[in-house]
Amino acid sequence: MQETDINLLVGGPQGGGIDSAANMISMAFSLAGYNIYGIREYHSNIKGRHSYIHFRIMHKRPRSLKYPVDIMVALDPDTLFEHMFDVSSNAKIIYDTSFDKFELKNARMITSDTMESIRNELKSRNLTMDVHGILDYFRSVGAIPIAMPFDKLINDYVPEGPATRYYNTLGAGTTLAILGLDIEHANEGIKYAFRKKPSVIDSNLRVIKAAYDYVDRSEIKPEQLKFYPVIPRMLLTGNDAVAIGKLMGGLRFQTYYPITPASDESTLLENHEDIKFLGNETKNLKKGGLVIVQCEDELSAVNMANGGALTGARSATATSGPGFSLMAEGISFAGMTEIPLVVTLYQRGGPSTGLPTRNGQSDLLFALNTGHGEFPKMVISSGDMEECVYDAIKSLNYAQKYQMPVIHMIDKTLANTMDLVPEIDVKKVRIEKYKENNNHENYKRYNLNTDDGVSPYGVFGKDVFWMTGDEHNELGHVTEDTSVRDKMMEKRMRKLITADKEIPMEDRAVLYGDKNADITYITWGSQKSLLLDAIDELKKDGISANLLYLRMFAPFPSEYVGEVLKKSNLIIDVESNMTAQAAKIIRMNTGIEVKNSILKYNGRHMTIDEVIKSTKRIMGRELEMVVLENGS
Amino acid sequence: MEKSVEKYNYRSDITIDWCPGCGNFGIVSAVTQALTDMKMDPTDVVAVSGIGCSGKTPHYLNIAGAHTLHGRSIPYAVGVKLANPKLNVLVMGGDGDLLSIGAGHLVAEGRRNSGIVVLLYNNAVYGLTKGQAAPTMPLNEKVKSIPRPNILDKINPATLAMASGYSFVARGFSSEIKQLSMLIEKAMKHKGSAIIEILQPCPTYNDVNTLDWFRKRVYKLEDDKTWNPVVNDKSEEEEKFNKGYNLSLKWGDKIPIGIFYENNTVPSFPERLSKIVPDYIKYPPSDQDVSDKDGYTIVDPIKTFIEKEIE
Repeated sequence: MQETDINLLVGGPQGGGIDSAANMISMAFSLAGYNIYGIREYHSNIKGRHSYIHFRIMHKRPRSLKYPVDIMVALDPDTLFEHMFDVSSNAKIIYDTSFDKFELKNARMITSDTMESIRNELKSRNLTMDVHGILDYFRSVGAIPIAMPFDKLINDYVPEGPATRYYNTLGAGTTLAILGLDIEHANEGIKYAFRKKPSVIDSNLRVIKAAYDYVDRSEIKPEQLKFYPVIPRMLLTGNDAVAIGKLMGGLRFQTYYPITPASDESTLLENHEDIKFLGNETKNLKKGGLVIVQCEDELSAVNMANGGALTGARSATATSGPGFSLMAEGISFAGMTEIPLVVTLYQRGGPSTGLPTRNGQSDLLFALNTGHGEFPKMVISSGDMEECVYDAIKSLNYAQKYQMPVIHMIDKTLANTMDLVPEIDVKKVRIEKYKENNNHENYKRYNLNTDDGVSPYGVFGKDVFWMTGDEHNELGHVTEDTSVRDKMMEKRMRKLITADKEIPMEDRAVLYGDKNADITYITWGSQKSLLLDAIDELKKDGISANLLYLRMFAPFPSEYVGEVLKKSNLIIDVESNMTAQAAKIIRMNTGIEVKNSILKYNGRHMTIDEVIKSTKRIMGRELEMVVLENGS
Repeated sequence: MEKSVEKYNYRSDITIDWCPGCGNFGIVSAVTQALTDMKMDPTDVVAVSGIGCSGKTPHYLNIAGAHTLHGRSIPYAVGVKLANPKLNVLVMGGDGDLLSIGAGHLVAEGRRNSGIVVLLYNNAVYGLTKGQAAPTMPLNEKVKSIPRPNILDKINPATLAMASGYSFVARGFSSEIKQLSMLIEKAMKHKGSAIIEILQPCPTYNDVNTLDWFRKRVYKLEDDKTWNPVVNDKSEEEEKFNKGYNLSLKWGDKIPIGIFYENNTVPSFPERLSKIVPDYIKYPPSDQDVSDKDGYTIVDPIKTFIEKEIE
């Protein structure tokens, strides 16, 4: 039997329960021993606009998404049109019979630009501009539309209604039934998805029954699905993973101002201020809770986090591009006054408000250069769930150890990816604190007598000392003395040299795959797992590829990256931005120019099919640079 | 730190470079007087300032001091206070710093009520940048440092503080040092956030609101023995707020100084947090162990985030 590899898409109006459907499907499959990998796409809108979840379901842990999809659930007619190009030639498409009368011109939530390409396709095939037309289109490409009377089915099983509230469960339940999952797993999925609303569990279970009964009675032949033993895992998004890592890493003070796609992290933490601790070995320790402050703006958020850090508390803030722009001055202050500050930067499509709910990796150079003046800062990036967890711990470590701002970058794709993560290892990363001050009598906050640039860190509440964003002397008082200025600048920057020497290469840049491969991919962030899958796929076609994966941009691992690239053959830079920013940083640090790139800046995540296709085009010398276009 | 708080000198040995006759001298005296009277352990108090002449104040005090960014003194102070609620945190900011570039934070702090003390230095000009009009300068006022009469109108700091929800609102005068030090002491003992608007001359740039101009106009609220702005019961809240609010608006020939409003019935942010995080005051963020003896995390990710687990 061929290994299960299902790509599934559930689409519907925002606010129409897509999240619950996603949670339910994930839980059901995970209980059957499967792994899931899903990405949520949505508009900057509360209710009405089109949103969808794209899942990949496999027994081994999937690391990327693939188009076309094998099964699509349309909770509204718009979904049929929005995703007309996303289905495979034998895909099953579940939709409501009541869509039959729907005309394309009434799909008001489809943006005019998208509408135009849909019209053009239907017109070119002489099809009607309505649901009949789109269904004919699907049949013509070999897909199988499955009409279900949503309202009638739901009314039969949940007469109290309203039926519209259960479309998501009906759609998800039907999917599970068609894919051959038994009803018990589906029921467990419901109990998980609605664990915070127990009053609606019973009615949703009845809708699941409606879905299974319907598939049973119909002519649809469900798939045969193998079941596997279940191991404990956590269903995490990137936002969740960072939150968990921060808390494990000793975060006790976090500030934020609401912004997509960053605030899910802070609100999750806000929900867990009363921390639960490990057993006996922590009995005699001072254990308290976490403080989360929702601030009036990002200026407040960054500077309040700085203030918290002055007491010795491990402090952080989380934001996205627009908020990060506002934080620049506070980051410069943290650099100047040597405050251990962690900023988690969730990138979305820019510039300006840009694509507020879509993916982007266009803030790398900005993060690297943020804040006026020259000061040391660290810029690190995560590419999968485990890295989100452990890098969050390391960020807090680096910030205190080197007394400087640390910018931890995540992209929207990773932030909103759903992934089943095997047990988190509480002993993987040690917590490292700041170099403590023991000389309380004659304390000099900025003691110059240090080889590594790191002066002992006194804290408010224990020490009397001063600090200022002006250039300062060892005591922290303002000075404009030329020689003190030089010494302070050099002391601060020396910390970056120290970090460069101390941090192991595996935390900075990693070469995955065969050293002597024909192709070397370069990437960072969420494309990591996708390219690892791509390498496996290409191998099947006899193409050998490896991946130089970047995790730390400041201090940049110049020597290592230079060595790897000098030995590489065809180098392809893969990034979700327009100007190949990581490649620019490589050139700046190593002098090596990376000529080939696969770039995407339409705000959607990359999928493995388009990356492989583009790789082959570059290999065939057809193009030096390919811009990817997948996504709805 | 073992320091005798009996004989402690709260003034540092840094040379003060404010202009002769600056109102800031009186503020430094009142602050050191209050700290002396309270026998304050110098490690229990932190001075936080922004930018401008006022921003230099922490350097002149022999207590922990953070001279931060323009407009951002309140966020820094709140960060310090909420991470270590045992600390007394004083904000020292000018009218431009707190009412223009930092006005959003000043307003937001009213509803947060973290328990910081805000000293708002009001001399109606931006001194350090050579005397431009500050947000407290009235419309059409012409001081010598501005080229034409002021084209913007003024904000009344005490009234804004009342409207923003500060639970302690007062006004002082930099030459009434005894009263000012009493106000600072009361503000520091108040649980919620306090704000004291401090009227002061700028002898270099403001030739209208001079020392004499203020002396002729100010009168002390506490001289009226019936004046009682303290709310200890919710039933008194509306009446006392209205009285204090109306009084704060008074300006002209007679300018009231003293406490406008003190409400002890509003829970402070630390008190609100304690309801969610039971050990917050005992082990605040600044005073927690974050790792075990081997350096590993003490947080149980599964138990804490149990709803994310799937078995």
